[in-house]
Amino acid sequence: MGTIRIALAALAALVALALIFAIGAVAHANEPIATANPAQLTAQKAAVERDVERSYEQAFEQVRKVRALNLAITAAQADQIAAKAVADLHALRHSAFQSLGQVMGMAPAEAETYSTATETRFDASPVASASASPAPVLLAPRFYAVVSRMSELATLIADQATTALTAPPPSASPSPSIAPSATPRPSASPSPTRP
Amino acid sequence: MTLVRALVIAGAIALGTFLGAAVDPQSLPFIGTERISAVFLLDGQAYFGHLEDTPLSGTIVLRDVYYLNDASKITTDLPVGLLKRGNELHQPVDVMYIRRDKVLAIERVTPGSPIGLAIAAQRSLDRTAK
Repeated sequence: MGTIRIALAALAALVALALIFAIGAVAHANEPIATANPAQLTAQKAAVERDVERSYEQAFEQVRKVRALNLAITAAQADQIAAKAVADLHALRHSAFQSLGQVMGMAPAEAETYSTATETRFDASPVASASASPAPVLLAPRFYAVVSRMSELATLIADQATTALTAPPPSASPSPSIAPSATPRPSASPSPTRP
Repeated sequence: MTLVRALVIAGAIALGTFLGAAVDPQSLPFIGTERISAVFLLDGQAYFGHLEDTPLSGTIVLRDVYYLNDASKITTDLPVGLLKRGNELHQPVDVMYIRRDKVLAIERVTPGSPIGLAIAAQRSLDRTAK
């Protein structure tokens, strides 16, 4: 009889322990998880658009300023380098807005349309010329990744263009000549001078 | 016998009062908002996530971990960016054990703070991606 009581008590203790763990697991599984409402997501999206555009404008401005300098290379070469950098920056910005659209859950075609429309909007009213600066927003990690990559690549393109634009002009490399050029040698005997 | 009962009741009241003062009602399960904690370490690093602080344990546990990264060279509004832990080279699983003696402070993150909003936005994007 005593053994049965002990066994029952141990079983009750085990059941109580299992119940505690089960309640803990259920409580953990039902813990509230906050998600952003549409207005908060819109604010984040607008901040990403601004940040991407700001990267583009800063890199574009750097290329434009360097191109405006008196460069050692020819004007045609400088124009070609600057035009390529600007085209790369355009493509990069387009790609960044497309990525943003896809992160927001848009289909590829929709993201393409969104990207073009956003570019047009910012071409009409650049961020640099905006008078009121909106409240700063801390980006969600997935948004931050888009901006970070855009900023990194835009800086890279602008720096490469700057290096190419400010490089010295290509000149014919001096080839070593076997025969020394004829230089007037001082004569050992003094030249006769007239009195 | 009556004295023992009175002592038990008094003890229960005292224990209830003590626990009532120590327990934050918002931290009880099934009620309140999401609880995101900020854990500040002695070396200056800060981590944000769901905290499991078990008494008598030498470590605290953080899940769903985020941390701040220097973004001073990036064209964001703020000079810091929020990153989710898990994309590092060793791709850690979503749990972080922190030695208790390395913790400087633990604070609760307000849901409407920039950190809280950024984490909430990340959750929304993750759900959209699924």
